[in-house]
Amino acid sequence: MRNRDAAYWLFLTPVLAALILVVIVPLIYGFYYSFTNWNGLGAPDFIGLKNYMDLFTDKGFLDTFWFTIKFSVAAIVVINIIGLSLALIVTSKIKSSNILRTVFFMPNLIGGLILGFIWQFIFIKVFGAIGDLTGIEAFNGWLSTTDTGFWGLIILTSWQMAGYIMIIYIAYLQAVPEDLIEAAKIDGANSFQRFRHITFPLVAPAFTVSLFLTLSHSFKIYDQNLSLTNGAPYNSTEMVAMNIVKSAFTENDMAYAQAKAVIFFVIVAVVSLTQVYFNKKREVEL
Amino acid sequence: MKRKKWYGGILTVLLVFSVILAGCSSSTGGNSDSKDVVTLDIFQFKVEFKSQFEALAKQYEKENPDVKIKVSTVGGGNDYKSAITAKFASGEEPAVFNIGGPVDVEQYKDRLTDLKDTKAAAAALDGTLDGVEEDGQVLGLPFNQEGYGLIYNKRIFKEAGINPDEITSYEALEAAVKKMDSQKDKLKIDAVFAYPVKEKWVTGNHLSNVFLAPEFDGNVLEASKAPTVKFTDGDKFKQLVDIQNKYSVQPTASLDYSQQVEELFSLEKVAIIQQGNWVYNTVYDMDPELAEKGIGIIPIPNGDSAGMPVGVPNYWAVNKKSDEKVQEAAKKFLDWMYTSEEGKKAVLEDFKFIPAYEGYDVEKIADPISKEIYKYSQEGNTIGWVFNGYPVGWNDDLGASVQKYVTGKLTWEELVQQNIENWEKIHSK
Repeated sequence: MRNRDAAYWLFLTPVLAALILVVIVPLIYGFYYSFTNWNGLGAPDFIGLKNYMDLFTDKGFLDTFWFTIKFSVAAIVVINIIGLSLALIVTSKIKSSNILRTVFFMPNLIGGLILGFIWQFIFIKVFGAIGDLTGIEAFNGWLSTTDTGFWGLIILTSWQMAGYIMIIYIAYLQAVPEDLIEAAKIDGANSFQRFRHITFPLVAPAFTVSLFLTLSHSFKIYDQNLSLTNGAPYNSTEMVAMNIVKSAFTENDMAYAQAKAVIFFVIVAVVSLTQVYFNKKREVEL
Repeated sequence: MKRKKWYGGILTVLLVFSVILAGCSSSTGGNSDSKDVVTLDIFQFKVEFKSQFEALAKQYEKENPDVKIKVSTVGGGNDYKSAITAKFASGEEPAVFNIGGPVDVEQYKDRLTDLKDTKAAAAALDGTLDGVEEDGQVLGLPFNQEGYGLIYNKRIFKEAGINPDEITSYEALEAAVKKMDSQKDKLKIDAVFAYPVKEKWVTGNHLSNVFLAPEFDGNVLEASKAPTVKFTDGDKFKQLVDIQNKYSVQPTASLDYSQQVEELFSLEKVAIIQQGNWVYNTVYDMDPELAEKGIGIIPIPNGDSAGMPVGVPNYWAVNKKSDEKVQEAAKKFLDWMYTSEEGKKAVLEDFKFIPAYEGYDVEKIADPISKEIYKYSQEGNTIGWVFNGYPVGWNDDLGASVQKYVTGKLTWEELVQQNIENWEKIHSK
């Protein structure tokens, strides 16, 4: 370990200090607070596991968890399908592929809150107008029921994130060697077979990355949720992050919210690490 | 070579530590620097009068060169609460902040200065200090009074041949609504009401208050101490939810405040909205003429009786943890705002408040809705605001269950049962 001299540690100090101060310390604090009855002011009293016990009988929290899981599964599938399709479109030999890349990536540059309000306008006003004009009932009353709220969130998230995921797929698609494709063509494989047996295995690492990103992102969504539905109707489109913020700030139950956050953190971590582990096992080396 | 490395390293370490240390310095609610200038940190929630309030603070600074006032505004009910909690948690405590009533008094108990000896507290109208009195102390000074009811469009009422003064019972309201509903096309309205069930406070705080206040004699402290709630007037509560929901622009579950007030009501697409005097400025911005001449307010009928719910939405509190000097300056400023001639003028004409203090010229109240509400409160024809005494989070749950009710996921009996149980549950915590 010749290079671990004093200078090495000195250069590492800023990063370590930042990491410890803004991640590690709050995390440890958070764990501690989740065993107390802290309300955000005053001194916390230690109450042991009570917060955790309450959690598992808290119907509201479990409902939001279930909603979040359903949302995440749907969002992951939709975002990855759209992202990969877009990537295939812009890496094929069409003329305007550069402009298209920019266009597809654009929604990602708009903040979640603003997006929520934009889509709220589209779902309520624009859809309503279309419904009035065409007489198709399906366009009316968006965001006023749980189902439309759910799909509204999915549409919004996909629109926002698909472009970003597209970029990842593009990077891997461009790394697929031309000569392999060429050889397959000569052997008489049609375009679907070429995709299935050559492109797909070679972009497997992209799936690992994209699945991880979409999974952790859709689990933790808050701002889009807040500005699009704010949990309406009757808190049925409330996701875990929002539920946690609510118990912390509307009900002044900081410690209880912290316990929820700990559970949430553990679950998200376990799910994403498992996913990465299994994906990694399936990747092929050239 | 070696030496150079060291320099770099030492520099980095110094840099890091200076950043960390800079982040650690914090202050509490203003301080007095060497020239004996006191800085007042005011953290308030009322977005509607932010610029007018800042102008008044500037005026005060001019007259008192030894005081500097820093105003920060974070809007809305819940947003303010989370912001102030975060502020306190971070150690950056303001000198003056806002509290809503008994529930907040309980929460911020060790931060509240007794304001009993201020001039403003002596001038406060009867009943306006109910929510913040504890053990003979006065822990807050009322902002203003507010009232809400059914705000209606005079032109539409006239064209439909309805006299608003006659709507003093539920039957009369129902008859009027049906009459308007039958001539929707002639009156050029989309619907009679715009009912924003999406906004939980509209149902969970305001409407429920009309029917629950009698249980607690209209006293917010009674409500905050009550171990349970009975929903004695629950059926009448249901009537008002039903009628507003049925004759509203649909779907009510996704209708929000800005659609209700800015679009539908200000553009005269609906005849009645259940809101309070705070909508005046919004309507004025959209259509000044409509705001000044075209709208009025009637109470929400509870069966055959109808009182105007008038209350104090918020109080100014002074932080006990801040400097003695700062506390004194804060009291002085609040007194000046509510009891001096310049202050009074600003409260009436710039803030457009309904004053919660005596010694104001009622004729100068800025808008017709507020005048109307003030008239009710002078005649004593009011009911108190008890919703600031509901158990924490209960109003939100009630609002959510009304959403369930209007979308058919819950019967009214279930709603009542659930919310009674919920009250007891939160109260026993």
